[in-house]
Amino acid sequence: MSSHNITLDRRSFLAASASVLGMALAACGGSGSSDAAPAEEVAAGEAIEYTLVTDGKLIVASDLDFPPLDSFEGGVAQGFDVDLSNEIASRLGLECEYLPPMDFDSIIPMIKQGGKADIGNSAFSITEERKLEIDFTDAYLDSNLGVAVKKGLGVVGDEAAIVNALNAPDMTVAVQAGTTGADWAAENLPNATIVPLASVTVCMTGVSTGQYQAFCADLPVISHQCTVSFTDCEIALEIPTGEQYGIVVSKDNPGLTAAINQALADMEADGTMAELKEKWFGANE
Amino acid sequence: MSRFRRGHVVARSCLFVALLLAAALLMPSEAYALTTNKATARPNENGGSNVIGGLATRLTWEGTVEDGESVSSVTLVLPEGGTFAGSSTKITALDGLDRAAVDGFATANDNQLVVVFSQPVDEGLLIRLEVEGMAFPSEGGDVVVSGTYENASGTQQLADSKPISTIANTSLQMLVATLDEMEAVQAWNSNPFLGMFFKPQLLVTAFSSLLPGWLLCLVIVVVAYPFAIALGLVFAFMKISRHRLVRAIAIVYINVLRGTPLFLQIYIMFFGLPMMNVNIDNNVLGVIVIAINASAYLAEIFRAGIQSIPQGQYEAASSLGMSYFQTMFNIILPQTIRRVIPTVTSDFITSYKDTSLLSSVGVMELMMFAKNLTSVSGNMTPYVAAAIFYLIVTLPLIKVVTYIENRMAHAERGGGPRPKAGERSAVEEAASDDLAAAELSTHFEGLGEGQLAPVPVFARMAQEV
Repeated sequence: MSSHNITLDRRSFLAASASVLGMALAACGGSGSSDAAPAEEVAAGEAIEYTLVTDGKLIVASDLDFPPLDSFEGGVAQGFDVDLSNEIASRLGLECEYLPPMDFDSIIPMIKQGGKADIGNSAFSITEERKLEIDFTDAYLDSNLGVAVKKGLGVVGDEAAIVNALNAPDMTVAVQAGTTGADWAAENLPNATIVPLASVTVCMTGVSTGQYQAFCADLPVISHQCTVSFTDCEIALEIPTGEQYGIVVSKDNPGLTAAINQALADMEADGTMAELKEKWFGANE
Repeated sequence: MSRFRRGHVVARSCLFVALLLAAALLMPSEAYALTTNKATARPNENGGSNVIGGLATRLTWEGTVEDGESVSSVTLVLPEGGTFAGSSTKITALDGLDRAAVDGFATANDNQLVVVFSQPVDEGLLIRLEVEGMAFPSEGGDVVVSGTYENASGTQQLADSKPISTIANTSLQMLVATLDEMEAVQAWNSNPFLGMFFKPQLLVTAFSSLLPGWLLCLVIVVVAYPFAIALGLVFAFMKISRHRLVRAIAIVYINVLRGTPLFLQIYIMFFGLPMMNVNIDNNVLGVIVIAINASAYLAEIFRAGIQSIPQGQYEAASSLGMSYFQTMFNIILPQTIRRVIPTVTSDFITSYKDTSLLSSVGVMELMMFAKNLTSVSGNMTPYVAAAIFYLIVTLPLIKVVTYIENRMAHAERGGGPRPKAGERSAVEEAASDDLAAAELSTHFEGLGEGQLAPVPVFARMAQEV
C-alpha cells in the first residue's frame, strides 16, 4: 500500500518537474528573439538604434570586487569602471543603474542570455575566446597581469626565475575564476595547483594567511590590494601582457556597442578619459 | 677546522661552476637581436590541464628586441605536423608595462607563421604574439617552437623556445569529437536549456575530471564521521550532566555550532587558524571542520535519543543494583543507538553534501572541479554531473534510512502479525506497545546469576505503564 503511494508521488513529481522544464525551455527560447531588435546600419550623423532592458536606463552588471576599477563600498558602486559607466550613460541620455555585485564568471553568460543587464563592465580584458560569446566595445584601458605573494616568500629574480619557482608541485596559486589571470596561471604554471575562487578578497586573504602561495590577477588590482588592504603582501612579478579592457555587450545589440564606442571616442577626444584615469590611477598612468 | 676549510673549497668551486653556467647561458643570447623569452600554449583538454596535439589551441610567443637592434618580421616554425592554418594572431609590443604602437599582419602557411610589422620594432620592446586557433602535431610530445627573424642585416635564426609538453589525443577526447559530429547531439545542444545543462560532450568529460573531487568528498566525510560521532556522544553526555559548568560548556558548544552557518565556520577555521600560526593541511582542516560541525548536530540527536528512553528503565535498572554507567552502557545506549540510526544517517547525508562548501576555500573537492570546469567552458553541465555524483551516494542512503525506519516502525508495533484486539490481555498490550519494555526484557536475559529475575521487574513496569 505504502509503496504504491510512493510510486504515485514520484510520478506526479516527474510530471511537475517536466512542466517546469517546459516553461524554462519556453523562457529560454523566447529571451533570445524577443529582445533582439533589427540592427540598423550605423551611418555618420544618424542616431544609433539599440535596445535596452528597461527604457531610459543603462543597466550594468559587475562583480564590484575589483578596486580601484570596481568596488562596492557602503552599498554604493565605486571605481574607475563605475565612473566610466555613469559617463557613458549620461552621454547616451540614460540613467545608469548597477545590479548588485555578482560573480565575475557569471557576467558574460548573463549578458549573452539577455534580459537582465545591458552591459557588463567589470574590467573585462578583450580576448578572442570571450569574443565568441559576446561583443566587446573598443578598448578603454590598458592593463597587465601581476602575481602577489606574501612578503618574504623568497621568490626573486627575473620573470623566468620567478615563474620557475612558482611552477612547482608544492605551490598553490589562487586565481579568480574566469579571468585572464586564471588563464595565465593554467598556461604558465602547469605544475602548480591552481585554485579558482570567486573573489579577489578571498584570494588575497588566502595569500596573506599562507593558504595559497601566490595570487595572479590584473596588475592594477593587485597593486591596489598590496598597498591598501593587504600590506603584508607584495607584487612578486609584473607580467607585461598588454591586455586591454572593453565593455561587454550582447551580440544581439550591435547598436549599443556602436553607441558606446562613439561615447568612448568622444571621451578620449575631449579629455574626460584622461581625467578619469588621473582620478583613479594618478598622473603617470 | 678542516671541515670549515673543506666547506670553503666547496663553496668556491660552486661559485666557479655557477659562473661558468651563467657564462654559458649568456653567450648564445648575445648573438640574437631578438631573444626568445618563452613560448607557452593554453591547455585545450576538455576538463583537463593538458595541451593536446591536433586540436586547436592558443600559442603565446614572447621575444625581446635587444639593444641597438630593430626587427621587421618574425617567422615562427612548428615541427612537422603542427599547423597555423586558420589561425588568427594578436600582435602586441610592450615597452615595460606600456603598450607600444606596433602593428603588423600575420600570414599562416601550414607550419610556418610569418608576422611582418608595419614598421621595424625598436630596441627594448617586448614582442608578444598570441596565435589563436593553431594546433600542435597530433602525436604529442615536447614541442619546440623555432623560427627566424629579419633585422637590418638580413634573416637570422631564432633561438628555440623551451619545449612545450603536449600529449596525443586521448580516447575520451576522441569520444567527445565523435559526439561533436553526431547530428542528434547537435540538435540536442541547439536547445538553449538542454545545451546549457545537459551537453553530452561535457557530461562525458565532466565525469572523468570530477572523479578525484568526488573521491576526496567521500574520504573527507568518511574520515570525519567517526570523530563526529565520538565528539557528539561526549557532548551529549556533557549536556545531560548534573554539573552545571559541564552542562554550560556543552550548551555553548552545541548552540554556537548549530546556530552559525557552516560557511562561516569554514572561513574562520581556514583563515583564522593560519593567522594564529597553526598551519594544517587543507584536506585535514576540511575533515576537522566537517567533524566538529557534525558533532554538534549529533550531540543533540544523541541527547534526544537518550532522553527518549522512559524514566522507568533507569528506575528498574537501579532497583537491580546497577550503577549509572552500567545502566547507560547496558540498558540505555543500545536502545538509543537503534533509535537514532535513521536520524544519524540523515545527518551523514547532510555532512556529505556540506563538503561542497569547502570548495570556497580551495579544497579540491567535487564542487571545486565542477566550478572550475564551468568557468572554463561557460556551461552549467559540470554542475549537473556533480549533482549525479552526489546522488550516487545520497539516494542509496535515503533508501537505507527508509528501510530502517520501516523496520523500526514494524518493531515498535510488536514485531509480527498483530493478534486481534479482543484476544489480547491488557498487560500484553501495554508491554508490546512499549518497545523499551520489550528491549529491557531481552537485555535482562543476559544478566548473570545473583541478579533479580527479570519477570517481576517486567511485570512491575508493565503495571506502571
